[in-house]
Amino acid sequence: MSSVPIMMKKLALAALCAIAMVPASPSQAQQATEVQLTYSKGQFQPSELRAPADKPVTFRVKNLDAKAMEFESTSLRVEKVVAANSEGVINVRALKPGRYEFYDDFNEKARGALTVQ
Amino acid sequence: MKAMRAGQWHSLGVLISLVLLGCAGSARAEDASSWREIETKYTFGFTTGSGIGLEGEKEFTVDTIGRFGKRDGHYAATETKYEFEFTPSQFIQIEFGALGSTHNIGGVTGLDDRSQVALGGAFAELRYLAIERTSNNPLSVTLAVEPTVRRIDETSGERVRNFEFETTVNADLELMKNRLFAGFNLLYEPEVTQTAIGDTQREATFGGSAALSLRIASNVVVGGEVWYLRHYDAANLTAFTGDAVMLGPSLYIRFTPKMFMTAAWNTQVWGREVGNPVALNLAEFQRHRAKLKFAWEF
Repeated sequence: MSSVPIMMKKLALAALCAIAMVPASPSQAQQATEVQLTYSKGQFQPSELRAPADKPVTFRVKNLDAKAMEFESTSLRVEKVVAANSEGVINVRALKPGRYEFYDDFNEKARGALTVQ
Repeated sequence: MKAMRAGQWHSLGVLISLVLLGCAGSARAEDASSWREIETKYTFGFTTGSGIGLEGEKEFTVDTIGRFGKRDGHYAATETKYEFEFTPSQFIQIEFGALGSTHNIGGVTGLDDRSQVALGGAFAELRYLAIERTSNNPLSVTLAVEPTVRRIDETSGERVRNFEFETTVNADLELMKNRLFAGFNLLYEPEVTQTAIGDTQREATFGGSAALSLRIASNVVVGGEVWYLRHYDAANLTAFTGDAVMLGPSLYIRFTPKMFMTAAWNTQVWGREVGNPVALNLAEFQRHRAKLKFAWEF
């Protein structure tokens, strides 16, 4: 029997094991800290937020502007488009202490940060 | 479509350099502290950074790697990944796609003359973020596996059945906030190939890289990298056949928030073949390699 299919089967099994080892979304395992902010006139309010370390965080972003915005953060590793005059909910994993910046990807000037301690 | 020759890639390199100089000139007045954080995955050239994207992000990329130059004759081969990638969680990234290949070979000892374009195979990649960077920890590490099947041999362009399982550790370190990054890769790439006449060949490539990238504008990163690669005629790294050192520059430009490109050029600066006292290793590796990638996020 060819060694190629055997190797492929072994590798597929290894890949399945690797996926099974990946932790489930941490935001489902613990009670999340909820932070609320609004987006109005192209700015976040408040723009500086705080949350405790080692707990998941849920952002509730109310977009009061008449056009869509995209809540995005490289360090939080999330992005979500929030339509005009609506609310977006973004679940984030349990965070280590530090400062996590976020911004509106459609608006260079709209920025904020979450300080976790 | 013909394979892109080394001269054309060189022209492309000159063009990119000119773009880079223009960007560098306009970047002097910018303040790095006002820049957004940057995703490091594609900022080191052939070296892959630890980034896994953002949860919910999807991306389509066209990623071409060209290999040029053997001991004699003329040799140009490219492999293009037409790739879809997405990030289903804040720890995992998944990629998959098709491979297109071109070969333009003439007068190379040990290889048949060939001029062809073909659908070369398919691949998938799973990336897992093992250590994440925070404002208090500059190190980030991602583990990646990439199984690939090919019907066209990467080097010769012959019809084969090839299965490769690339395993990498992608690490990077933020040396200056938002500005200077060091990247490191560790690579183990075993593969098995069945030729058209039924022979089975096993081989592996093992090596690592170190790279440095400097963000000269909010949307432009330049850098350099060095790779050390070893080749074996066995998957378990027991039959060493030669090694090589490759060195070269890299460039990353983000054109819009949803579109970027990355380019890199590596030249073999040192190499050896077991049992052949010649300069460089052009049996298992190439004289030059180039990378050009365009990505669209959505």
